Amino acid sequence: MISLAGRDIMHAWGKFVFTGMGLGLLIGVTLSMAGIYRGMVDDGKALLDNSGADLWVVQKDTLGPYAEPSSIYDDVWRAIRGIPGVVQTANVTYLTMQVRQGERDVRTLVTGVTAGAPGTLGWPPYLVAGRQITRGHYEAVADIATHFKLGDRLQIRRNHYTVVGLTRRMVSSGGDPMIFIPLKDAQESQFLKDNDAIRQQRRRTAENPAFNRPQVPGLLDSVIDSQSINPYVNAVLVQLEAGYNAADVADSIRRWKRLTVYTRNQMEEILIGKLIATSAKQIGMFLVILSTVSAAIVAFIIYTLTLGKIREIAVLKLIGTRNRTIAGLIMQQSIALGIIGFVVGKISATLLMAPIFPKHVLLEPLDSVMGFAAVVLICILASLIAIRAALKVDPAEAIGG
Amino acid sequence: MKYLPVQGRTLALVVVIFPLLALFVYVALRSGPLAPVPVTVAPVENLSISPTLFGIGTVESRYTYKIGPTFAGRIKRLTAQVNDSVEAGQVLGELDPVDLNEKIRAQDAAIQRSEAKLIESLARQVFAKAQTQRYEQLLAARSTSKEIVATKKQEHLIAEASLKAAREEAVQVRAEGEALKAQLRNLNLVAPAAGLVVARNADPGTTVVAGQTVVELIDPKNLWVNVRFDQIHARGLAAKLPAQIVLRTQTGELTGRVLRVEPLADAVTEEMLAKVEFDLIPKPLPPVGELAEVTVALPALPSGPAIPNAAIQHIDGKIGVWRIMNGRPHYTSVTLGGADLDGHVQILEGLKVGDEIVVYTSKALSSRSRVDVVEHLSGMTP
Amino acid sequence: MGGKGIHIEGLKKRYGKGDTAVDALKGVDMQVEPGEVVGLVGPSGSGKSTLLKCLGAVIEPTAGRMILGNETIYDDGWKVRDLRALRRDKIGFVFQAPYLIPFLNVTDNVALLPMLAGVKNGEARKRAIELLKSLDVESRARAMPSQLSGGEQQRVAIARGLVNRPPVILADEPTAPLDSERALAVIRMLNDMARKFETAIIVVTHDEKIIPTFKRIYHIRDGVTYEEAGEGRNFT
Repeated sequence: MISLAGRDIMHAWGKFVFTGMGLGLLIGVTLSMAGIYRGMVDDGKALLDNSGADLWVVQKDTLGPYAEPSSIYDDVWRAIRGIPGVVQTANVTYLTMQVRQGERDVRTLVTGVTAGAPGTLGWPPYLVAGRQITRGHYEAVADIATHFKLGDRLQIRRNHYTVVGLTRRMVSSGGDPMIFIPLKDAQESQFLKDNDAIRQQRRRTAENPAFNRPQVPGLLDSVIDSQSINPYVNAVLVQLEAGYNAADVADSIRRWKRLTVYTRNQMEEILIGKLIATSAKQIGMFLVILSTVSAAIVAFIIYTLTLGKIREIAVLKLIGTRNRTIAGLIMQQSIALGIIGFVVGKISATLLMAPIFPKHVLLEPLDSVMGFAAVVLICILASLIAIRAALKVDPAEAIGG
Repeated sequence: MKYLPVQGRTLALVVVIFPLLALFVYVALRSGPLAPVPVTVAPVENLSISPTLFGIGTVESRYTYKIGPTFAGRIKRLTAQVNDSVEAGQVLGELDPVDLNEKIRAQDAAIQRSEAKLIESLARQVFAKAQTQRYEQLLAARSTSKEIVATKKQEHLIAEASLKAAREEAVQVRAEGEALKAQLRNLNLVAPAAGLVVARNADPGTTVVAGQTVVELIDPKNLWVNVRFDQIHARGLAAKLPAQIVLRTQTGELTGRVLRVEPLADAVTEEMLAKVEFDLIPKPLPPVGELAEVTVALPALPSGPAIPNAAIQHIDGKIGVWRIMNGRPHYTSVTLGGADLDGHVQILEGLKVGDEIVVYTSKALSSRSRVDVVEHLSGMTP
Repeated sequence: MGGKGIHIEGLKKRYGKGDTAVDALKGVDMQVEPGEVVGLVGPSGSGKSTLLKCLGAVIEPTAGRMILGNETIYDDGWKVRDLRALRRDKIGFVFQAPYLIPFLNVTDNVALLPMLAGVKNGEARKRAIELLKSLDVESRARAMPSQLSGGEQQRVAIARGLVNRPPVILADEPTAPLDSERALAVIRMLNDMARKFETAIIVVTHDEKIIPTFKRIYHIRDGVTYEEAGEGRNFT
């Protein structure tokens, strides 16, 4: 037995391929949508992975430092370092801000990393160019998504920083690229707004008679000094010694230091469960809509193709073709269309769409496999209408008059 | 000829479908999580590393003079202006004496009064002494009673005491007079040393309290930089090390020298403090309080294997680097030595000179990763 | 093969019910011997098509008897379960328009029927090519239907009708789109085939050019057939 579907496709392959390409672009969009969701999840995980931490110690009763603001004193780490099982701690600050370079500015997550050697918690774990920070001040490592280049001078608040290294896939949970700068500078940049604000604050303090007392020379200076320091960080990253259970150590920090502590799993839950939950639902809706539209399009195309073959189907029936064969012809065509669409979709999603999306699009092989199964299923369902129409064709129609 | 349609179709099929399938296979294998990770490798070099320390400081003057009145008063005259150079002993301003002259006159009167009182006491004492001698002679002649003699003796002692008191009072009042006169002389604000006026905090007519700074002087010949070094990066910091100083307002690097490392570190900011002297005070004078970036060069270390710090990774609590062995990445833990500011780190243990290590990677590596060794990572110019 | 050819007795077909019922066939009797080509002539609405559809087992008659070859297929009800298989194996169809399957080449258009009946592809194609050879269109065996002329298409259609060696061929105005020369050629071919394969062939037509070629003609009018001896020109 020859494959009727195959012969029909070969006969009108141009129509098929073009229709398949159109469908493919739609499937590409659908795959990209799934990729965007995966990308968001991956962004969240990348943020956690890149910090290298096992535990996050944050302000009590906050979901910090990523999902909520959190600030704790920058000497808290000393107490945490003493807890059994803790092998390394590092202060870290995160501040989303526009970073200026010449004419343009880029939205970034400025991360303050503790002074130390490469490999310290919170530092970028790998680079694609340049070197890690070696000076304690005014050097920055930027993600390539910022489009900064080595040697660029950046302005973050009041200070200028030189880009000494570039890294990749270091993004916030919102997909903003990260810039790593020394912690002290970051603390300052979180606190010191701009020169005008500083001057105004000084003036306000000077006008307050409680702080500016003629009998106490020097009081004003001390007050202003005390206002201009920022002894806070957003979180303390903790690395555990091998063999210690993260939950146990977290419990003991919670209990004795009265701070909120999150383990890696909890952090992931916060990022994925809370931060991107709405976006995920949104994308889920899009996936449903796109799948429905794809199904409708496949159904429509196959139905049209079938209607164009009504006479042939009548002849086939008249000369004794079984219904199963005719249904198979239509369903195989539908699946073939789906496969062409899927191939085109996968290619276009990977090569055309993913690179131009501003956010990370992660196309997982498993998603592709599932997508393929869904496409085939949708095509099978979509062919049912056409199959019904074909089966209703009366073989008597082939005999004219 | 008659088979052409079939051939044409087959040809079109080959032209369209096969590239599409090839592309699909390429896409499935070469992108996404299955794709190999592009990395760059470099050999471990034999380098002599000159560790350098980097700190941020502010220009400060070594000697600062804060000149102000020693008592509350009102400023009458203030000639010193900011940026004036002044000599030692130069009068910078004057306080209004207000009622000081009147006080001195009252004090003079008090001195006169105390002298008169002294004369009176002396007269009483002379008389009391004479009386006592007379009654002692009468008692010897038994012409008076013992009681009267005792009374005269007591009067004599009292007169002596009040003479002494009057004498001391005269000294006191005179001294007080001197003090007021000294204050009158101290109404002038005088420069204690040659220097530069950097602040003028009050203007004539302002009432100031004792100890309040009216004029601030610095010694421009003695400027230094107060530098803060992060404790973690300050290993080897010592006096007399050469330093490069970059001032924000001045182009080019200035040379200097570490004068001393402060014995007290900042416990709160976890920084070490050091004073760095200029070899040559720059002209024009940098403003005091200007930010300075200071690089201190430590003596060069003996040469040894060194790698770029970008290669260093931290995995499972171990510092190490990735090496490519049989096409697979292999993690080698290392012990780090000195580092310089250009990103070179010496390796004490774990690598030999010439070993190939992964420097840049476009993704975190694991020992299961497939790698693709490239010259430069995509998007990175040489 | 052969057997009784086509035998029809008192075949009736009524469309609809009650007052609106229409009797399309009111008792048709026909007999076509194996190897014989018979014309069926009648004006529009005479019941021609209905008769053909009943014979082709695509609509069910109301009453009567039909015997195709050796098999009684209808006797006041279908006597055969699988009408499709019946159509496939016992009846060859040749239509007014050739109705070839546009996406199959000539060989496969013909070979499709044996394939549907379960014959292996190679064997089916061999059979098809033999038949095409005898119909003189072998040279176009790999062409697509759209590349053939009308006569070639019709010949391929005849080959398809014959390929399963059915005892019966129903031809519905097979010469309508053809000029007289080609029409006569087709009829000659049908005659040749009928003789060669002992097939009973009914040719429905109102083509004046070919009516004289039949030895026997059935006229149908208002659902009743009348037999008439034809001239049988060309074939004597």
